[in-house]
Amino acid sequence: MRIGVFICHCGSNIAATVDVPEVAAAARRMPEVVYASDNMYSCSEPGQQAIVEAIQAHNLGGVVVASCSPRMHEPTFRKAVERAGLNRYLFEMANIREHVAWVGKHKRANTAKATELVLMAVEKLRLNRTLAPRKIPATRKVLVVGGGVAGIQAALDCAEGGLSVVLVEREPSIGGKMSKLDKTFPTIDCSSCVLGPKMVEVAQHEHIDLHAYSEIVSVTGYVGNFAVTIRKKAAYVDWEKCTGCGLCMERCPSLKAHDRFNEGIGATTAINIPFPQAIPKKATISAAHCIRLKTGKCGACAKACPSGAIDYEDQDREFTVTVGAVVAATGYDLTDWKVYGEYGAGRYPDVITALQYERLLTASGPTQGRIKRPSDGKEPKTVVFIQCVGSRDPSVGRPYCSGFCCMYTAKQAIQTKEHLPDSQSYVFYLDIRAPGKGYDEFTRRAQEEYGAAYVRGRVSMLYPIKTPDGEKLLVRGADTLAGSQVEVEADLVVLAVGAGAAEHAPRLAEKLRIPYDAHGFFLEGHPTLKPIETNTAGVYLAGACQGLKDIPASVAQGSGAAAKVLGLLSRGELESDPQTAGVNLTRCTGCGKCIDICPYGAVQELEVRGKPKAGVIEAVCQGCGLCTATCPQGAIQLSHCTDNQILAEVEALCRC
Amino acid sequence: MALREQLKKMILEVLPGVDCVIGWGAGYDALHAAPLFMRAPEDVERFLSGPLGAFGAVQNPALFLPELAGKKIGLVVKGCDSRSVVQLAAENLIKREEVVIIGFPCEGVIDLHKLRNKLAAHFVVNEPGGVTAVNLAGDHLALTAGGQEYTFKRDEIMADKCPRCREPNAVISDCFAGIERRADNIADDYEDIAALERMSLEDRFRFWEQEMSRCVRCYACRNACPLCVCRDHCAGASRDPHWLTQADSTRDKFMFQLIHTLHLAGRCTGCGECQRACPLGIPVLLLKRSLGRAVEEMFDYRAGLDTEAKPPLLTFRVEERKIKEREW
Amino acid sequence: MPLLNKHDRRPEHREARIVGFLCNWCSYGGADTAGVGRYSQPSDLRIIRVPCSGRVNPLFILKALLNGADGVLVSGCHPRDCHYAEGNFYARRRLEAVKRFLPTLGIDPRRFEYSWVSAAEGGRWQKVVTEFTAQIHSLGPSPLMADAPEFDFLKECGI
Repeated sequence: MRIGVFICHCGSNIAATVDVPEVAAAARRMPEVVYASDNMYSCSEPGQQAIVEAIQAHNLGGVVVASCSPRMHEPTFRKAVERAGLNRYLFEMANIREHVAWVGKHKRANTAKATELVLMAVEKLRLNRTLAPRKIPATRKVLVVGGGVAGIQAALDCAEGGLSVVLVEREPSIGGKMSKLDKTFPTIDCSSCVLGPKMVEVAQHEHIDLHAYSEIVSVTGYVGNFAVTIRKKAAYVDWEKCTGCGLCMERCPSLKAHDRFNEGIGATTAINIPFPQAIPKKATISAAHCIRLKTGKCGACAKACPSGAIDYEDQDREFTVTVGAVVAATGYDLTDWKVYGEYGAGRYPDVITALQYERLLTASGPTQGRIKRPSDGKEPKTVVFIQCVGSRDPSVGRPYCSGFCCMYTAKQAIQTKEHLPDSQSYVFYLDIRAPGKGYDEFTRRAQEEYGAAYVRGRVSMLYPIKTPDGEKLLVRGADTLAGSQVEVEADLVVLAVGAGAAEHAPRLAEKLRIPYDAHGFFLEGHPTLKPIETNTAGVYLAGACQGLKDIPASVAQGSGAAAKVLGLLSRGELESDPQTAGVNLTRCTGCGKCIDICPYGAVQELEVRGKPKAGVIEAVCQGCGLCTATCPQGAIQLSHCTDNQILAEVEALCRC
Repeated sequence: MALREQLKKMILEVLPGVDCVIGWGAGYDALHAAPLFMRAPEDVERFLSGPLGAFGAVQNPALFLPELAGKKIGLVVKGCDSRSVVQLAAENLIKREEVVIIGFPCEGVIDLHKLRNKLAAHFVVNEPGGVTAVNLAGDHLALTAGGQEYTFKRDEIMADKCPRCREPNAVISDCFAGIERRADNIADDYEDIAALERMSLEDRFRFWEQEMSRCVRCYACRNACPLCVCRDHCAGASRDPHWLTQADSTRDKFMFQLIHTLHLAGRCTGCGECQRACPLGIPVLLLKRSLGRAVEEMFDYRAGLDTEAKPPLLTFRVEERKIKEREW
Repeated sequence: MPLLNKHDRRPEHREARIVGFLCNWCSYGGADTAGVGRYSQPSDLRIIRVPCSGRVNPLFILKALLNGADGVLVSGCHPRDCHYAEGNFYARRRLEAVKRFLPTLGIDPRRFEYSWVSAAEGGRWQKVVTEFTAQIHSLGPSPLMADAPEFDFLKECGI
């Protein structure tokens, strides 16, 4: 290989503490180096032009640039050598700015170090091979997991962009948490009025294939071609026939089923359509509560159903779809607030979660929008809101802020006053976090216009007391601003229960092979610059599954994920990074260790002339090199970072 | 019935259902056994026919299994050999159902290096044909060399791995001859490594330098290792990857041993074939035992005991119980 | 502080030969961050960029030490933050095993360390490099097999 070396002064950034011409002179003595020069700014237009001209003038077969970090300018220089007709992978960088000039004080030591780094780069380059990205066909279809507002947005935007969409929702209806809300902050819009049309659009869109009451069983394959197996859970109702008329619910004698949609406020029938605006609006039988399924006797719903949709023999069904990309939008679940003994640990019926309170506020809810406390159905006069229940509390393993509770609490305080004008709300808070557009103004309105009393401090305990006005809850806390103890006799206590990742999120992450954090939130590709991507190619994140966020942010990320998917699948084929592992079939003994450890399932067993061998699916391989470090005989090598290349670098270093 | 007769009976029972049964037969002299491949009933007569009997059955027959994949093989195993079979099965390098395992209670095997050193003290060089008569009686071995008789205690010439052996009986077997030997109160105190570690670091380094300078790069250690997966693609002879030069340097010879050791990390069952096979008696098993000890400390894991276990360096726990997160 | 130079046989003047294997995503970025923040460091360490700490075959460490490196440092993403999800979990086991193995070879285990440094932790990287370099200097030159060849490229170049 005829190698050219270019040492950058980077103005005085490098030249001030490294003798750049001396490094260039040393480079001329390195193996296979036929040309070396120093440049003022290698990354500048004239700097790049100098490289291009030198490649052509000296017929160079490989280039080393010693300058800044390759994390900064590797792509720049790769393009430059490609302009000169050289394969872009016949290029290496030595980082003599961040790792030498900016951190070492002594010019002589820095010059020696820079020279050694250049020698290492030269030795590595000598073993570089021409690499070419491969084109792989991609299926122009996307799977969206989760039909909350983020998933709905992602699905609609992808469908509008011309992609086929498979939307999978665990619950019988899409809509997610937003569909349970009465109003949204900071405009106090009717939640179902703004979400409803989007849900209907999903149902009607020609490009969206909706699978509610379904789960992801397994995901195999890779970007461009994932094979996803989906399980449609047995609803005991043939959804093809069900019209959603609701007659079955009217006749069902089993009235004690847990009402998931209403957060357990009241009970519901064993056969159930979760709410009037449900999409799809189809009935589902809860097997745990259905008398017919438990005892074989009953059949009231089958008799009532005008379309003959009831099917007590129904079973789970599995089917497989192929998609090119996946958007995970699995949202959040409330954390378990019953760990708090000081709030009664669930023993007091009039201590409820904010999400349950939403159901009480909603006109279509179990109380038709009248605020009635669960214990005796009375309208409360005094409502205490407690913030940060399971948020910002390392003692229960939830050190983070859930982000949206301050805002919905302010909203609920406002709504309480609107529903019950002679009521008084108290809000116990740690800090008010209201950084969104119009948000701080909103929390102030709750206090100033609606008279909610904000008390800065934690509630230490609450317990039931009997008063002349009936049974109440005595809430005792601290007012840290006044420096005093506070006691409030409350009719109803609403807990702003913090949120965690959806219960099954880690299981899905394992199937998608994406990392997740200690709280189950999926890890984005980069916390600041890749908030939507994951480190698994073709898998994107939308909404609270990546980190808690409110509705506008979830919608924005849903659109963002859709944009990423549309970009990815726009051409119907993908270019794969060629810096992947490859197997030397002669050396491979088929022991399978690489297959077992690959984090991406990118290595599979092949049969070559009757013998087992490893084979790399290049489109799946992310280039981590774990397999190369595992293979005893070095049969599987990571291109551009082979054992021989690392050995050459080590050897070069020990030669200086 | 004597152990040999019981085993022969079992081998004859197993033989019709397999392609061959591997055990030990006579070698080039009375002291040396050699692997015996029994395909017909008449071959079984040669099983353990030397005067040392099972005490001379030093080779690990598990070595041959991966090469014989696809055939049905009967295998007579000592406890240590059986652990190699388990490990091969755990790593899917062999199929368990292709092997019929015949176990017996091993009472230890001879270390011919030790014997050679003892004879050398008597100025006797143990060459082929040099030993003319051998008689193992009770706790003593009597042998005749150069017309003179020498007697050694059995314990003095037993392999080091045997007194510390926690699994003298096959850990898995399809049939078992004799009565299992109890080994409940036997522990491995790693005294061999402790002795090495009583030397200063510098002395240890010089010890290996001295030992490795004797290595002739014959690779007998590797060829005898039942768990070597590289087989014909050894790093020692490869240009890509080029871990070793062909130079006769102590450094490269040591590096080769380290490659073999690291390849066996969390996999080595301590059968000691590498060291036994070394014509120069270089204590290469020490290296493998040291890494094995580290693995046992870190993961409470010993290789070759469970066909369902994963070698610990081929897996992980998110929270490691015994690895301290370093402050830096 | 005296100017460090590998050829100077006076121990306090000699620069140590330290090899660093850094994962591209976290620790290499952390070293970049340290550079951008001008966190000054001893200049003994030379960095080899690898995609992941899981790419580091422990044999590279042994190879470097036998070839005359005075110290080896491997640094990757913090456990749970691996760019490739699991690479550093494997690395942690393998690196710890090799560290515990070194004393048997007669190599001081303090000649090899591994650390977790994220791309944001420039200050932490400075601390790691400074402390590890000091540790290697306190141990002095590593033992070499007598027939180890001597090379000196820099001397040939007059640097």
